[in-house]
Amino acid sequence: MLRAEDEDASELKLGDDFLKAKCLMNSEVAILLEHRCDQMKHMSGESMHQLPQVLEKSLQYVKRFSRFTNQGSVKQVREVLSRYQLAEFELAVIGNLCPETVEEAKAVVPSLKTKGRGHDDEAIDRLLNDLMMIKKFE
Amino acid sequence: MFFHIVLERNMQLHPRHFGRNLRENLVSKLMKDVEGTCSGQHGFVVAITGIENIGKGMIRDGTGFVSFPMKYQCVVFRPFKGEILEAVVTMVNKMGFFAEAGPVQIFVSNHLIPDDMEFQTGDMPNYTTSDGSVKIQKDSEVRLKIIGTRVDATEIFCIGTIKDDFLGVINDPTTA
Repeated sequence: MLRAEDEDASELKLGDDFLKAKCLMNSEVAILLEHRCDQMKHMSGESMHQLPQVLEKSLQYVKRFSRFTNQGSVKQVREVLSRYQLAEFELAVIGNLCPETVEEAKAVVPSLKTKGRGHDDEAIDRLLNDLMMIKKFE
Repeated sequence: MFFHIVLERNMQLHPRHFGRNLRENLVSKLMKDVEGTCSGQHGFVVAITGIENIGKGMIRDGTGFVSFPMKYQCVVFRPFKGEILEAVVTMVNKMGFFAEAGPVQIFVSNHLIPDDMEFQTGDMPNYTTSDGSVKIQKDSEVRLKIIGTRVDATEIFCIGTIKDDFLGVINDPTTA
């Protein structure tokens, strides 16, 4: 098992438990959590006034930092990004931060620069354009 | 980063909960016990989204309790060193500032704030550039990089930096 000191997201070292785990973009988490909150309110009826703290804070956070709000476009983002041979983690970071330039994308996802993965500047540029299109037509 | 993962747990149930509603009782007890908890290994469990399977119950010797192995899917929030994310500033002081990303607290020390930003005291303590064009105060949104995490039994604390390219304020509450 990887110890905490050896973890490094910039090199995609996430430890055994998370290496194959599905990463979620904030927009996706927002959809999931809203559904869960409705479910909770429905279950407990009027008696529940407050959501558990971790859920409440997470929901506020993902609502504030969601780039895409419409369910269709959230799905589209994942579809489009998965064409580019990205790791789950890279996909989610790009979907969350929506970098605008190739330079910015490489700064927020340093693992893109790893040699031999076929992510030249041109491919990254195409990816960012695709992302921008979804945003524009949302 | 939020993840969707499968976790396992043995749930112990008192015999008075047996009967037709056994499964529902198990699931609601699992939600009550697990949601909102935090472990160093898996981070904060935000919400359970589904049950994968419930194994055969085993009676515990000497008590009437039965323990059921359960596998469930959940959304967890787990910060990683090297991760870049957005956060909301919650407190500013001369040592640096605190920001929150979901359930996680992140501290950015003044050594890890760009050198051209100075601390200003007042009703609304803040860090401002000399020309006043960029300001960090409570409720600002910042993009930061996590450079270290500390885990204790029930919480995860992070240390972050905004002293790098493409990091820093993304939204100023006074101009928004």
